[in-house]
Order: sequence, then structure tokens, then C-alpha cells
Amino acid sequence: MAELVGYLITGVGVGCAYALLGSGLVVIHRVTRVVNFAQGGFAVLAALTVTTLLTAGLPHGLAESLAVLLATGIGLLTGMVAIGRPGTTPQAALIITLGLGVLAYAVEIFLWGDQPRSFPGLPGSTAVLGARVQTHYLLIIGVTAVILGATALLFARTDRGRALTATADDPYAARIVGIDVARMGLLAFALGGALGGLAGVLVTPVQQVSFDSDVVLVVNGFSAAILGNLTRPGLTLAGGLLLGVVQALVGGYLSTAYQTEVALIFMLGVLILRSSSARVEEVTA
Amino acid sequence: MKWIIALAAAAVVPFFLPPGQLTVYILLGLSAMAVVGLSLLMGYAGQVSLGQASFTAIGAYTAGLLAVHGVPTLLGLLAAPLVAALAAGLVGVPILRLRGHQLAFATLALQLILLSVLGDADWAGGAVGLQGLPYLSAGGFELNQDRDYACLVLAGVVLTTLIASALVRSRVGRGLRALATAPVAAGASGVPVGAYRLLVFAVSAAFAGLAGGIYAFYVGYLAPGSFPVLLSVEYVVMAVVGGLGSIAGALLGATLITLAVQLLTTLATQPGMPSYAPSVLSYAVYALLLIAVVRYVPKGIVPALLLRKGILATLHRRSS
Repeated sequence: MAELVGYLITGVGVGCAYALLGSGLVVIHRVTRVVNFAQGGFAVLAALTVTTLLTAGLPHGLAESLAVLLATGIGLLTGMVAIGRPGTTPQAALIITLGLGVLAYAVEIFLWGDQPRSFPGLPGSTAVLGARVQTHYLLIIGVTAVILGATALLFARTDRGRALTATADDPYAARIVGIDVARMGLLAFALGGALGGLAGVLVTPVQQVSFDSDVVLVVNGFSAAILGNLTRPGLTLAGGLLLGVVQALVGGYLSTAYQTEVALIFMLGVLILRSSSARVEEVTA
Repeated sequence: MKWIIALAAAAVVPFFLPPGQLTVYILLGLSAMAVVGLSLLMGYAGQVSLGQASFTAIGAYTAGLLAVHGVPTLLGLLAAPLVAALAAGLVGVPILRLRGHQLAFATLALQLILLSVLGDADWAGGAVGLQGLPYLSAGGFELNQDRDYACLVLAGVVLTTLIASALVRSRVGRGLRALATAPVAAGASGVPVGAYRLLVFAVSAAFAGLAGGIYAFYVGYLAPGSFPVLLSVEYVVMAVVGGLGSIAGALLGATLITLAVQLLTTLATQPGMPSYAPSVLSYAVYALLLIAVVRYVPKGIVPALLLRKGILATLHRRSS
């Protein structure tokens, strides 16, 4: 029982990081129709930045915040390169973000080398229902809940958020009522950068990163987001948590070797089922 | 005519290259084979594949495993493209329903699964891979020189190019072109959309598989790490830079990128350069070329050149 609770909590913790990454993908995709392949790169870049800032003597909290801020800026830059030129199709923009992801490899190896890195998170462990888990997992869960809640409020309650939602629903109508659609796209990329960076900063203490961790991270984030068809934040959170828990259970009871396959097969399954149901909708519509 | 000159040049080059650069020539040719197929897939069937190197891996492991179990190497080489095409046919039925980014992620997922399965599989040597593969031999003649493989690779490139251009010019090719621009209209006009997409997918996989098969016998050593996701990305960069759907573009893209990366690697391995220089420079080249081409020459180099030539010719005709 205690073992099961332990796996559930670590699973939810890692799943939260996937959900944050996936939410970043969703925000960007809703507003710009672009799937941002560089999303995992934001996480890696932010995490590696924290290792440097901590070594330089900055306290915890400040180092992490600065790294997330940097990821936000990188997200904005990514947006400017990917959709800054009018008339770029979402397909072309996907390829550009793929290129930016590879460019990040060059920068990361140049600055940090190619060995995996990590940094200490919240120390100690806490007893939950008889299971001892690293306290850091609880921190991940708490921060994710606050941030995703704040993001939901941002979209629902603020003018800027409503403008983003309007752009997502109908860019043409949004432009008619005076919303700067191009700026909303860039804002979405910045927000995506922040969410990706946060995911990297949170998960690195329990899971090392190296420059090429971004592929696994973006695939997991995409798997979480695809459950909500890259448009529904609630389902993305559910997808991330489900993925994290199933991976933890598979890793705990079967073998850690199968953990990645779980996410991948889950994603393929959802994609294929969705494509056949989408076809039915097309026919009946 | 232009093609004959290019072929003659490509055939003469290996006899003047020092051994070290012959390796580059061979690897270039292997990439070109895979990229011709990928360009066909992306340009004509409108499908982004981020997992094309999985078919290179399947071809290589097919050839390698057969050779390890004592099957004649020539049979192994023939089996490589066939097994790759068969694998593409099998996975293609469910995943080719997907479009755009979904297919991109699905193919990427398939490659990650394949790499992870190969890394855990004892029958495939696990993470260590297959070692000590024999040279390719046919009718008592063993191909054990770099120059032999350069000729074999050239033959492979010619073969894939011929098959690809025959495919493009055939009824299937016309159907595919209709399908790339207007899938619904093509379907309504009787083009068997699904079957043609599957066909191109299988053909592109066979090309990559052939490249993998030759690679296995040339290098003599295979591991999951020989076929990273980055190899798939490299293929995409080559295809996009040269121009999707253009066979000449695929060949040019492969040549351009391979030579650029090789040049930079030579620079980066000069004494005094830091140890990370080669990987940093080659990643930067892939990234910057890809981004620049997609932003400023979205059709790719060869189609853009042809278009410019066509416009100039039209202007010339009008003025005279």
C-alpha cells in the first residue's frame, strides 16, 4: 500500500511537469496553430541555466525564477523567428521550431557540455499515508497547481487573456475588433516558453537533463496535450498526470526500461483513435 | 544531358579522392538515397516524417542480422529494402491517417520505440549492437575496399533516382501530385488516396533501408546509437534545403549539407580547437540552414532556381 502511494505521488509529480510542458504546447497551438517542437528545449535551457546560477552563488528561488524568465524571453524569440514572417504556414513554422531546437543543442553543448546535469531541489522527505516521498515531488505538485490555476484565470478573467482566447477562436474576427493578432501569437510563445521553462526547473532535481533530453520531454508533453487535441487545457493536465502515474507504475512494478514506450504507445493510440473519430465527425458534419 | 554530366562527374570523383574523403563520399551517397525517398514522401504525399532513420536502422539490422546468422551477404543486402518497405507498409496503415504535426510526432515516436526495443533486445546485440559484420561479397568477389563501396553507393543512388523519377512520371505520380495539392478533389476524381500514400511511404522506406543495408556492410558495426533521432532530422534538413518533391533537390541538399558539415568538422578538429567544436558547429549549420531556407526560400533551392529560370525565359520570349 505504502509502495503504491509512493509510486502515485512520484507519478503525479513527474506528470505535472508533462502537463506544464503540454500546456505550453496548447497555449501556442491554440493561438497560432503552430506545434512548437522547441518546447522541450525551453525546459532544458532553463534547467541548465539554474545549474550555472546556483554555482555562481545565487540562492534557490531567485535562480529558478531568473531561469524561467530567460525561458520566457527565449519563447518570445522562438515566436519571432517561427511566425514573425507573415504568410508562414503552421507546417513551415513546425520545421522552423525543429531547427531552433537543434540550434539550442549547439548553444547548450557550447555552454554546458554534453554530460547530463542536475541540481538539488527541496531537501528531505515527507510521510504521506505511510509512504515516504521526496518533499520535492510535493513542491512540483503545489507549484503546478498554482501556476495552471493562474493561467486559467489569466485566460478567463483578464482582457489580455480574453484577447488571446478570441485570437484562438477566430483570428479574423479578433482582428476586426482591434486585437493585434500577431502580437497575441508572440505573447502565446512567451507564455509557452515560461511554462516549458518552469517544467524543466521543477523536474530536473528528480530527473537529470542533458542537451538532448528535449526530445523525450517534448514527446511526453505532446502526448499529454494530444489527449485534449492540443486545444483543451483541462484534458492536457489529465493527460500529463495519467502519463506520469502510468509511467511510475510501469517503472515500479515491471521495469524502468518500458517507461518511455508507455508514453509513446499511449500517444500513438490516442492519435489513431482520434483520427478515426475525426473522420466520422467530418462525414456527419 | 545535364544528368549524364552529373553522373559522369560523380563516377569519376571517387578515383581521385584520398581514402579519408572516400568515407565522406560514401556517407553522402547513403544520405542521398534516403533523402530522395523522404523528399518524395514530403513533397508528393505531403507527409512529414521525423522518423525516417528508423527505416535506415531496419535495413541495416536486417542485413546485419542475416549476415551474423550466415546468410549470404548479397541476400542480406536485397532483404534490407524489402523488410524496411514491409515495416513501413505495416505501420503505415494506422499512422498514415494522421496529418501534419500528428504524423511528425507519430513517426518520431515510432523511431524512439524502435531504438528502445533494439537497445533492450538480446537478439540484436542490445545497446552494444552487432559487431564484426562481414564485407559484402558477390560471386566470390569481396567488396573490401572503400572504392568498391563508393561504386556500390553510386549505383544505389542511380537506382533510387531512376525509380523515383519513374514513379513521379507514372500514373501514380500524377495521382500523387493531385493528392499533394488537393486531397479531396483527388479522391473525388478516383485517385486511391490511401493506397498511393502507403505506396510512397513504403518506397521511401525501401530507399532508406537500402542505404542502411550498404551502411551495415561498409562500417561492419551497428548499434542503436548509429541511428539517432538526429539522423532523421538531418534527412529532413537535406530534403527541405534542396526542395521538397524535387529529386535533383534531394541530391543537391544531401551534397550541400554533407560537404558543409564535413568542412566545418575539418575546421573544428584543427589543433587548438575545443573538443566540443565539431558537434556545436554541425548542429549550428543544420539549424541555421534549415531556418534560413524555410523562411526565405520556402520551396527549397532547386525549385526556386527552376522558377527563376522559368520566369526569365518567359520574359525573354515576350521581349523578343
